[in-house]
Amino acid sequence: MKLGGIKSVENAHDDSVWAVTWVPATQTRPPLLLTGSIDETVRIWRSDELVLERTNTGHSLGVVSVAAHPLGSIAASSSIDSFVRVFDIDSNATIATLEAPPSEVWQMRFDPKGAILAVAGGGSASVKLWDTSTWEIVATLSIPWPEGPGPKSTDKSGSKKFVLSVAWSPDGKRLACGSMDGTISVFDVPRAKFLHHLEGHFMPVRSLVYSPFDPRLLFSASDDAHVHMYDADGKGLIGSMSGHSSWVLSVDVSPDGAAIATGSSDKTVKLWDLSMRAAVQTMTNHSDQVWGLAFRPPGGDLRSGRLASVSDDKSISLYDYS
Amino acid sequence: MACVYIPVQNSEEEVRVALDQLPRDASDILDILKAEQAPLDLWLMIAREYFKQGKLEQFRQILEEGSSPEIDDYYADVRYERIAILNALGAYYSYLGKIETKQREKEEHFILATQYYNKASRIDMHEPSTWVGKGQLLLAKGEVEQASAAFKIVLDGDRDNVPALLGQACVEFNRGRFSDSLELYKRALQVYPGCPAAVRLGIGLCRYKLGQFEKARQAFERVLQLDPENVEALVSLAIMDLRTNEAAGIRKGMLEMQRAFEIYPYCAMALNYLANHFFFTGQHFLVEQLTETALAVTNHGPTKAHSYYNLARSYHSKGDYDKAGVYYMASVKEVNKPHEFVFPYFGLGQVQLKLGDLKSALSNFEKVLEVYPDNCETLKVLGHIYVQLGQIDKGMEFMRKATKIDPRDAQAFLELGELLILSDTGAALDAFKTARILFKKGGQEAPIELLNNIGVLQFERGEFELAQQTFNEALGDGIWVTFIGDEKKSSASTIQFKDMKLFHDLESNGHHVEVPWDKVTVLFNLARLLEQLNKSGTASILYRLILFKYPDYIDAYLRLAAIAKAQNNVLLSIELVNDALKVNDKCSNALSMLGELELKNDDWVKAKETLRAASDATDGKDSYAILSLGNWNYFAAIRNEKRNPKLEATHLEKSKELYTKVLLQHPANLYAANGAGVVFAEKGHFDVSKDIFTQVQEAASGSVFVQMPDVWINLAHVYFAQGNFALAVKMYQNCLRKFYYNTDSQILLYLARTHYEAEQWQDCIKTLLRAIHLAPSNYTLRFDAGVAMQKFSASTLQKAKRTADEVRSTVAELQNAVRIFSQLSAASNLHIHGFDEKKIDTHVGYCNHLLSAAKVHLEAAEREEQQIRQRQELARQVAIAEEARRKAEEQRKYQLERRKQEDELKRVQQQEEHFRRVKEQWKSTQGSKRRERSDDEEGGTNEKRRRKGGKKRKKDKHSKSRYDTEETEADMMGEQEVEDEDVDYGEPKTQMNDDDAEENAQGLLAAAGLEDSDADDEPAAPSAASRRRRALSESDDDEPLERQSSPIRENSADLHESDGEIRDRDKTYRDDASDEEKQD
Repeated sequence: MKLGGIKSVENAHDDSVWAVTWVPATQTRPPLLLTGSIDETVRIWRSDELVLERTNTGHSLGVVSVAAHPLGSIAASSSIDSFVRVFDIDSNATIATLEAPPSEVWQMRFDPKGAILAVAGGGSASVKLWDTSTWEIVATLSIPWPEGPGPKSTDKSGSKKFVLSVAWSPDGKRLACGSMDGTISVFDVPRAKFLHHLEGHFMPVRSLVYSPFDPRLLFSASDDAHVHMYDADGKGLIGSMSGHSSWVLSVDVSPDGAAIATGSSDKTVKLWDLSMRAAVQTMTNHSDQVWGLAFRPPGGDLRSGRLASVSDDKSISLYDYS
Repeated sequence: MACVYIPVQNSEEEVRVALDQLPRDASDILDILKAEQAPLDLWLMIAREYFKQGKLEQFRQILEEGSSPEIDDYYADVRYERIAILNALGAYYSYLGKIETKQREKEEHFILATQYYNKASRIDMHEPSTWVGKGQLLLAKGEVEQASAAFKIVLDGDRDNVPALLGQACVEFNRGRFSDSLELYKRALQVYPGCPAAVRLGIGLCRYKLGQFEKARQAFERVLQLDPENVEALVSLAIMDLRTNEAAGIRKGMLEMQRAFEIYPYCAMALNYLANHFFFTGQHFLVEQLTETALAVTNHGPTKAHSYYNLARSYHSKGDYDKAGVYYMASVKEVNKPHEFVFPYFGLGQVQLKLGDLKSALSNFEKVLEVYPDNCETLKVLGHIYVQLGQIDKGMEFMRKATKIDPRDAQAFLELGELLILSDTGAALDAFKTARILFKKGGQEAPIELLNNIGVLQFERGEFELAQQTFNEALGDGIWVTFIGDEKKSSASTIQFKDMKLFHDLESNGHHVEVPWDKVTVLFNLARLLEQLNKSGTASILYRLILFKYPDYIDAYLRLAAIAKAQNNVLLSIELVNDALKVNDKCSNALSMLGELELKNDDWVKAKETLRAASDATDGKDSYAILSLGNWNYFAAIRNEKRNPKLEATHLEKSKELYTKVLLQHPANLYAANGAGVVFAEKGHFDVSKDIFTQVQEAASGSVFVQMPDVWINLAHVYFAQGNFALAVKMYQNCLRKFYYNTDSQILLYLARTHYEAEQWQDCIKTLLRAIHLAPSNYTLRFDAGVAMQKFSASTLQKAKRTADEVRSTVAELQNAVRIFSQLSAASNLHIHGFDEKKIDTHVGYCNHLLSAAKVHLEAAEREEQQIRQRQELARQVAIAEEARRKAEEQRKYQLERRKQEDELKRVQQQEEHFRRVKEQWKSTQGSKRRERSDDEEGGTNEKRRRKGGKKRKKDKHSKSRYDTEETEADMMGEQEVEDEDVDYGEPKTQMNDDDAEENAQGLLAAAGLEDSDADDEPAAPSAASRRRRALSESDDDEPLERQSSPIRENSADLHESDGEIRDRDKTYRDDASDEEKQD
């Protein structure tokens, strides 16, 4: 397996780019790339030339997460001011503006069927699930407080269970969320029930992703510079991969399930061969922290794999994955 | 058979005495001799006969009788015989004295001999044989010059006197004038060709000394022809054969030695050489026997020295250093000048070195060096000793010389490298590399320690790949290879830091888990390197492998703990450190680390105790522990929530004291210097602290092991405190980039604060947003962002001139601020950040107030804008109307014209039609009628289309004009900025309000963390002094939260690396005798 650089767009945004996701192709158009930045805009790019299609404004304070519906028609973007804007990709019409105070908004993900939008709720120690037809909250998945004396755990750094990241299992039945203290919580979505914690990290988990084929296999990226592999149902830590020299900010798994890519504060993007559990390639396109990366979802007549990464250096890089 | 005949007195008879049948009792003969008054020469003859037969007692008896006073009286006129008898006695006693080993008896013999010679001289002081005898006696006594004088007297009288010639030759030989000696021997031989073999021996020795080995050999062989039992010749030949240094020669030499030994077992020289031989064959028992015998039989200094030396060497190689030392010393005592026999000095030096008597060893080696100034081994040993004595430079000088003299001596380069490590790692690395190449060239395997050192140096220089190669080479093959190569295995088992199952599994699977002791250090260093390369998983396995085989290896525990600490797994880390403490509860490294971890766990009191224990464990010599205590005190000073100034001062004073203590011990301790700088800064001596920080910063750059971001931060703090915001910003940014991959929200907070102070509001807000993104759960950052927005808005509204856009963006920011504050307010119910709800509400209220004020402004601005827009609109409408009129006119004209044209066309058409009709009429068919109709229709559509086109054009024109007006509108807005002053309705009111608000905001700001960090970081900043006062006054009721966020990272005197960081440079000093001895 190999990554090959295709194109980089310098100054894709006016300032640091913090979020990236692929919008799946629809019948009328090919897949698009969606990026969000501290410059308060969301931009839409046409692959592979990375031509800017549109710039969406309307957020104040930096855009921290973008998510695209699996059907490719709608997308959501969220910013530090804790508003989620749901919009039509082709027309940029606002479909809904979501907020659930006092819960703030961090990472968002649509479930694989597109019926629910999961939003990591930061200090509320919960994940909010929004129905994508009515845009009402259908459930709040709360992380139970750890046993033991309650008040003592209220550190000055805020709640220990500050929820940063979410991931859906490929069958849509499980949801995992990562928090500031490094624990990962797993929920049974149909029953809206907390299942268990996955331990192993002790620093913030900023990104999580399930393997596309194995609904139990979960990858997590943490500030401790490690990527962990968990058996999400069996509570077991399967493996731990080290190689980055600073925080691992994002992780995504390739559509074929054979590799994962990670982006790190050490400015690199690494490709890991899961059969060897070792980094096989390190890309150094970026000159600052790589906040996000995403493999293009398969579908349509697209054979070739694509990976996009975004960074504090204001640029977007696109790679061929084969 | 030879007989002597003693004439019977007064008769012709003679008594016949068969010489081989001399009676056992000499008195019988003596009686006859006396009774018959036999001539003295007969006495002498008989005495000589006794001597020849070895009957020394009888010999002495006869001669003593023959020299008694009665004889003197009786034979008073027989001078020569009397002299001969006396000389014989003299020679006899000389000989006794010479072979006697006991000093007192030796003296006595010599005294007797002297007496006899003197008596002989009294009879005739010109008798040459007496002088020769005296010369011999003096030679035996070692008084060479006087002996020479005696021989000279003889030779002056008779230059061919053989005994005198021989004597003189001997003198010259002893004087070292071998060619003179040779001449004399030659002359003796010419004068008396039949002289005994000993003369030829002398020639042989002279030739040997003169380096004419072949001729010497011939001479010795000739001696042996004449006298096959001549021990000296045999020994000499043997020595010559041994010196050939060839196996055959040595074997032959040993055979000759042996024969000599069999012929005469008491020849010290032969004994020594035999001992020497057996030393090398390792038969120490024989060595001791032989040398002891040699010592018993000789009195000759150099020979004894040699014997003692052999003995010492034997003990030395057996490891009995005390005895060896005694014998070396004895040997040295026998040697007058080191030049004669230097080896015992070397041996003595070695033994003394071994026994730790460096000074004596040094003087002995220096003596060796005097003799052999270019001897590498001596140079190396001297170098080593000087280093041990702390004279590094001198040591290095010797080592350098050694490597220069023998550029192929790998050992010398190795040792030079070890010396250089302290001062010049680059040069050390070069030396090590040379040594490694030399080992390789010599077909030897480079020692593990050497490779280890090379690896460590490469590691230190940041050449990680090379270092890894080197370590791998040093490790060679072993169980570890399976872990280093296979990342999958390592990734799977990183899970448990204390898990040894992996190794048990391997063992039960029949693998042999083995780690040779000499490779542990290398393995550890490799693991450390892997850590640096971010392969902490593999590193962790290697550490565990070490612990599996060597559970007492504390550093491995500590590194494991450090890895766990890096992953923020504090509890596990503490557990691991405790494991280390189980091995050694006085290990200061482990204690220091434990203290550090306890601090991290917010366990202050415990941490202090632990650090104290660490400091005590090393008698206060462990800088790390002291530094940590200093840091503790510093934290304590700034941590106190109620800021008791007295307590603060005590703690600061204490921490300063501790830092200073470390600095006294180690003037180059960066961390202590940094700490001292911080204390100075706390006290407001910014110039001093800046100097300190700058120096530390310079010193800290260069090694991969020294990472001191703190000093950068401190320097930035100082710039900040001095109001040099631009430099502070640059410093913070560089630090973030250089050390933290831009991931430290705390430094971003400092940066934001600098921007805030510099009134760069947008930068400040952006920086805070970044910080929030990095540390989402830090609500203080949100609060600060809200405050920054509020302040930005307030300051914009205060501006005398502002545009509606500015006001609009102000309003937007205010709305953001309100949102942030309300969110915080809402969240405060959840008790997740601990802000005072009331306070946030105040902010919300204030922001809302500002917002409403801003709305007034905005309305005003918008009204103004509106007016302008209206005016513009009016103008535009006028323009439009004008335009429309013009257009209408044009249109009318156009249409008029067109109508005209159309009319014309119609007319033409009509005419044509008419004409055609006429033609039709002429032809008059039905089809033509239909055709006519369709033609008519065509014309109609044509016209319609044309009209449509015209309309479109008009529309175009219209829209274009609108764009134009918009542009001008924008221009006018620009101009309007200038004349904004007239929009000052309500300004006085808001102004006042603003002032009020300003005060309020300041107060609130002081409350908000931003101001607080100021108070913490540069308490005495003159510019911030007034603000600080406010901060202090308010800090009581304001949240102390921020304090924790401004904790000055100077904490760092925390030597990250001391977590069990060790760089072993194994020293293997080899002074076992065998090595250097070989050169003998």
